[in-house]
Amino acid sequence: MSKIKIIPCSGIGKVFGLMAREAALTVTDKLCPEEAEIVCLAHLVTGEDEALAKVKGLSCVTVDGCSALCAAKSVEASGGIVRQQYRSVDAMRSHKGKNAGTGTALTDDGWLIVDEIAAEIAECVYELRKEV
Amino acid sequence: MADKKVGVLACSGEECLGGTISRLATRRVMEKLRPNRTVTLCLPLYIAGGEEERNFAKEYPVIAVEGCSKHCSTCATEKYSGKVHDIVDVAAILGEDVALAKTVSARELTEKHQDMVKIISREICAKMDAIAGA
Repeated sequence: MSKIKIIPCSGIGKVFGLMAREAALTVTDKLCPEEAEIVCLAHLVTGEDEALAKVKGLSCVTVDGCSALCAAKSVEASGGIVRQQYRSVDAMRSHKGKNAGTGTALTDDGWLIVDEIAAEIAECVYELRKEV
Repeated sequence: MADKKVGVLACSGEECLGGTISRLATRRVMEKLRPNRTVTLCLPLYIAGGEEERNFAKEYPVIAVEGCSKHCSTCATEKYSGKVHDIVDVAAILGEDVALAKTVSARELTEKHQDMVKIISREICAKMDAIAGA
Protein backbone atom coordinates (compact mmCIF):
# COMPACT_ATOMS: atom_id res chain seq x y z
CA MET A 1 0.00 0.00 0.00
CA SER A 2 1.40 3.37 -1.00
CA LYS A 3 2.22 5.74 1.80
CA ILE A 4 0.55 9.15 1.92
CA LYS A 5 2.97 11.72 0.51
CA ILE A 6 3.70 14.72 2.71
CA ILE A 7 5.15 17.73 0.93
CA PRO A 8 6.20 20.81 2.93
CA CYS A 9 7.26 24.08 1.35
CA SER A 10 10.37 24.52 3.56
CA GLY A 11 10.25 28.22 2.66
CA ILE A 12 13.54 29.83 3.54
CA GLY A 13 12.66 33.45 4.18
CA LYS A 14 10.36 33.30 7.21
CA VAL A 15 9.54 31.18 10.22
CA PHE A 16 6.40 29.80 8.54
CA GLY A 17 8.47 27.76 6.08
CA LEU A 18 10.53 26.20 8.86
CA MET A 19 7.33 25.40 10.77
CA ALA A 20 5.90 23.67 7.70
CA ARG A 21 9.11 21.67 7.23
CA GLU A 22 9.30 20.62 10.87
CA ALA A 23 5.62 19.71 11.08
CA ALA A 24 6.04 17.47 8.02
CA LEU A 25 9.15 15.83 9.46
CA THR A 26 7.38 15.23 12.77
CA VAL A 27 4.61 13.40 10.92
CA THR A 28 6.84 11.25 8.73
CA ASP A 29 9.54 10.51 11.32
CA LYS A 30 7.62 10.31 14.57
CA LEU A 31 3.83 10.18 14.29
CA CYS A 32 3.14 8.16 11.13
CA PRO A 33 6.39 6.66 9.80
CA GLU A 34 4.57 3.59 8.46
CA GLU A 35 1.72 5.52 6.89
CA ALA A 36 3.35 8.62 5.42
CA GLU A 37 6.57 9.69 3.75
CA ILE A 38 8.08 13.03 2.90
CA VAL A 39 8.74 14.04 -0.70
CA CYS A 40 11.38 16.56 -1.70
CA LEU A 41 9.65 19.62 -3.13
CA ALA A 42 12.75 20.90 -4.92
CA HIS A 43 12.86 17.68 -6.92
CA LEU A 44 9.23 18.19 -8.00
CA VAL A 45 10.05 21.73 -9.11
CA THR A 46 12.59 20.40 -11.62
CA GLY A 47 9.76 18.65 -13.44
CA GLU A 48 11.93 15.59 -14.07
CA ASP A 49 10.04 12.36 -14.78
CA GLU A 50 11.70 10.60 -11.84
CA ALA A 51 10.41 13.33 -9.53
CA LEU A 52 6.89 13.45 -10.96
CA ALA A 53 6.57 9.69 -10.51
CA LYS A 54 6.83 10.21 -6.75
CA VAL A 55 3.43 11.94 -6.59
CA LYS A 56 1.59 11.43 -9.87
CA GLY A 57 -1.89 10.06 -9.19
CA LEU A 58 -1.08 9.58 -5.51
CA SER A 59 -2.66 11.02 -2.36
CA CYS A 60 -0.66 13.99 -1.11
CA VAL A 61 -0.90 16.32 1.86
CA THR A 62 0.80 19.67 1.44
CA VAL A 63 2.12 21.85 4.23
CA ASP A 64 2.74 25.41 3.16
CA GLY A 65 4.04 28.31 5.14
CA CYS A 66 2.23 31.18 3.50
CA SER A 67 -0.44 32.16 1.01
CA ALA A 68 1.87 31.57 -1.98
CA LEU A 69 0.99 27.86 -1.53
CA CYS A 70 4.19 26.72 -3.21
CA ALA A 71 3.86 23.11 -2.12
CA ALA A 72 0.20 22.73 -3.11
CA LYS A 73 0.70 24.38 -6.50
CA SER A 74 3.84 22.40 -7.27
CA VAL A 75 2.21 19.08 -6.33
CA GLU A 76 -0.80 19.88 -8.51
CA ALA A 77 1.49 20.84 -11.38
CA SER A 78 3.28 17.51 -10.91
CA GLY A 79 0.09 15.45 -11.18
CA GLY A 80 -0.25 14.67 -7.48
CA ILE A 81 -3.67 14.60 -5.82
CA VAL A 82 -3.73 17.19 -3.04
CA ARG A 83 -6.12 15.62 -0.53
CA GLN A 84 -5.51 18.21 2.16
CA GLN A 85 -3.64 21.50 2.44
CA TYR A 86 -2.22 23.01 5.62
CA ARG A 87 -0.66 26.43 6.16
CA SER A 88 1.45 27.22 9.20
CA VAL A 89 0.46 30.88 8.94
CA ASP A 90 -3.12 29.79 9.68
CA ALA A 91 -2.03 27.90 12.78
CA MET A 92 -0.34 31.08 14.03
CA ARG A 93 -3.71 32.86 14.03
CA SER A 94 -4.82 30.94 17.08
CA HIS A 95 -1.58 31.88 18.82
CA LYS A 96 -1.69 35.64 18.38
CA GLY A 97 1.21 37.48 19.99
CA LYS A 98 3.39 34.38 20.22
CA ASN A 99 6.91 34.49 18.82
CA ALA A 100 7.50 31.26 16.91
CA GLY A 101 11.13 32.02 16.03
CA THR A 102 12.86 32.65 12.72
CA GLY A 103 13.52 30.79 9.50
CA THR A 104 16.58 29.32 11.21
CA ALA A 105 15.32 28.21 14.61
CA LEU A 106 12.05 27.85 16.46
CA THR A 107 11.26 29.03 19.96
CA ASP A 108 9.52 26.79 22.51
CA ASP A 109 6.23 28.36 21.41
CA GLY A 110 7.16 27.66 17.79
CA TRP A 111 7.71 23.99 18.56
CA LEU A 112 4.38 23.78 20.40
CA ILE A 113 2.57 25.14 17.34
CA VAL A 114 4.52 22.78 15.05
CA ASP A 115 3.41 19.86 17.21
CA GLU A 116 -0.21 21.00 16.93
CA ILE A 117 0.03 21.20 13.14
CA ALA A 118 1.73 17.80 13.02
CA ALA A 119 -0.99 16.22 15.16
CA GLU A 120 -3.66 17.56 12.77
CA ILE A 121 -1.78 16.23 9.75
CA ALA A 122 -1.32 12.84 11.42
CA GLU A 123 -5.07 12.61 12.01
CA CYS A 124 -5.62 13.40 8.33
CA VAL A 125 -3.09 10.74 7.30
CA TYR A 126 -4.92 8.07 9.31
CA GLU A 127 -8.24 9.11 7.75
CA LEU A 128 -6.80 8.98 4.24
CA ARG A 129 -5.28 5.56 4.87
CA LYS A 130 -8.72 4.22 5.83
CA GLU A 131 -9.91 5.11 2.34
CA VAL A 132 -7.13 3.23 0.56
CA MET B 1 31.51 45.75 -6.54
CA ALA B 2 32.06 44.77 -2.89
CA ASP B 3 28.38 45.33 -2.08
CA LYS B 4 27.11 43.49 -5.13
CA LYS B 5 24.10 41.40 -4.17
CA VAL B 6 24.21 37.71 -4.93
CA GLY B 7 21.31 35.28 -5.14
CA VAL B 8 21.86 32.24 -2.94
CA LEU B 9 19.38 29.52 -3.70
CA ALA B 10 19.26 26.44 -1.48
CA CYS B 11 17.43 23.30 -2.54
CA SER B 12 16.27 22.83 1.10
CA GLY B 13 15.57 19.22 0.12
CA GLU B 14 13.50 17.28 2.63
CA GLU B 15 14.53 13.72 1.77
CA CYS B 16 18.17 13.78 2.84
CA LEU B 17 20.58 15.47 5.22
CA GLY B 18 22.23 17.44 2.42
CA GLY B 19 19.02 19.42 1.91
CA THR B 20 18.92 20.39 5.57
CA ILE B 21 22.57 21.45 5.46
CA SER B 22 21.99 23.47 2.27
CA ARG B 23 19.10 25.32 3.92
CA LEU B 24 20.88 26.04 7.19
CA ALA B 25 24.09 27.14 5.46
CA THR B 26 22.14 29.56 3.30
CA ARG B 27 20.34 30.92 6.36
CA ARG B 28 23.71 31.39 8.12
CA VAL B 29 25.03 33.38 5.16
CA MET B 30 21.85 35.50 5.09
CA GLU B 31 21.80 36.19 8.81
CA LYS B 32 25.41 36.25 9.95
CA LEU B 33 28.09 36.11 7.29
CA ARG B 34 26.91 38.30 4.39
CA PRO B 35 23.58 39.78 5.57
CA ASN B 36 23.61 42.82 3.32
CA ARG B 37 24.74 41.08 0.19
CA THR B 38 22.53 38.00 0.13
CA VAL B 39 19.20 37.71 -1.60
CA THR B 40 17.31 34.46 -1.72
CA LEU B 41 14.14 32.93 -3.04
CA CYS B 42 12.04 29.93 -2.12
CA LEU B 43 12.79 27.53 -4.98
CA PRO B 44 9.14 26.49 -5.66
CA LEU B 45 8.22 30.14 -6.27
CA TYR B 46 9.45 29.48 -9.78
CA ILE B 47 6.17 27.56 -10.16
CA ALA B 48 3.91 29.31 -7.64
CA GLY B 49 5.19 32.83 -8.17
CA GLY B 50 5.21 35.20 -11.11
CA GLU B 51 7.47 37.11 -13.44
CA GLU B 52 9.41 38.70 -10.59
CA GLU B 53 10.54 35.31 -9.31
CA ARG B 54 11.33 34.07 -12.79
CA ASN B 55 13.61 37.04 -13.33
CA PHE B 56 15.71 36.07 -10.32
CA ALA B 57 18.69 34.70 -12.24
CA LYS B 58 18.51 37.60 -14.67
CA GLU B 59 18.71 40.16 -11.86
CA TYR B 60 21.33 38.49 -9.67
CA PRO B 61 24.26 36.16 -10.17
CA VAL B 62 22.95 32.96 -8.56
CA ILE B 63 24.83 30.45 -6.45
CA ALA B 64 22.87 27.22 -6.22
CA VAL B 65 23.37 25.33 -2.97
CA GLU B 66 22.69 21.67 -3.69
CA GLY B 67 22.00 19.03 -1.07
CA CYS B 68 22.64 16.10 -3.37
CA SER B 69 23.89 15.26 -6.81
CA LYS B 70 20.44 15.71 -8.39
CA HIS B 71 21.22 19.47 -8.41
CA CYS B 72 17.54 20.46 -8.21
CA SER B 73 18.25 24.11 -7.47
CA THR B 74 20.38 24.44 -10.59
CA CYS B 75 17.95 22.47 -12.76
CA ALA B 76 14.93 24.50 -11.63
CA THR B 77 16.73 27.83 -11.97
CA GLU B 78 17.97 27.04 -15.45
CA LYS B 79 14.53 25.75 -16.47
CA TYR B 80 12.56 28.78 -15.26
CA SER B 81 14.91 31.71 -14.84
CA GLY B 82 18.42 31.59 -16.29
CA LYS B 83 21.94 30.22 -15.92
CA VAL B 84 23.37 29.82 -12.45
CA HIS B 85 26.71 31.47 -11.84
CA ASP B 86 28.14 28.84 -9.52
CA ILE B 87 27.23 25.77 -7.50
CA VAL B 88 27.98 24.70 -3.94
CA ASP B 89 27.48 20.94 -3.84
CA VAL B 90 27.10 19.50 -0.33
CA ALA B 91 27.66 15.95 -1.62
CA ALA B 92 30.91 16.91 -3.35
CA ILE B 93 32.24 18.73 -0.29
CA LEU B 94 31.06 16.54 2.60
CA GLY B 95 30.71 13.25 0.75
CA GLU B 96 27.79 11.52 -0.93
CA ASP B 97 27.20 9.30 2.12
CA VAL B 98 26.78 12.34 4.36
CA ALA B 99 24.58 14.21 1.91
CA LEU B 100 22.29 11.22 1.38
CA ALA B 101 22.03 10.32 5.07
CA LYS B 102 18.61 10.50 6.68
CA THR B 103 17.38 14.04 7.05
CA VAL B 104 17.19 15.45 10.57
CA SER B 105 14.75 17.72 12.29
CA ALA B 106 16.05 20.97 13.75
CA ARG B 107 15.25 19.29 17.09
CA GLU B 108 17.99 16.76 16.47
CA LEU B 109 20.80 18.94 15.14
CA THR B 110 24.14 18.11 16.71
CA GLU B 111 27.43 19.97 16.90
CA LYS B 112 28.63 17.80 14.03
CA HIS B 113 25.75 19.02 11.88
CA GLN B 114 26.52 22.62 12.84
CA ASP B 115 30.14 22.08 11.78
CA MET B 116 28.90 20.89 8.39
CA VAL B 117 26.75 24.01 8.10
CA LYS B 118 29.81 26.16 8.83
CA ILE B 119 31.88 24.42 6.13
CA ILE B 120 29.17 24.87 3.50
CA SER B 121 28.41 28.47 4.50
CA ARG B 122 32.10 29.37 4.22
CA GLU B 123 32.13 27.86 0.74
CA ILE B 124 29.10 29.96 -0.24
CA CYS B 125 30.86 33.08 1.06
CA ALA B 126 34.03 32.29 -0.90
CA LYS B 127 31.99 32.07 -4.09
CA MET B 128 30.11 35.27 -3.23
CA ASP B 129 33.38 37.09 -2.64
CA ALA B 130 34.75 35.81 -5.93
CA ILE B 131 31.71 37.25 -7.69
CA ALA B 132 32.12 40.58 -5.88
CA GLY B 133 35.77 40.74 -6.85
CA ALA B 134 35.16 39.82 -10.46
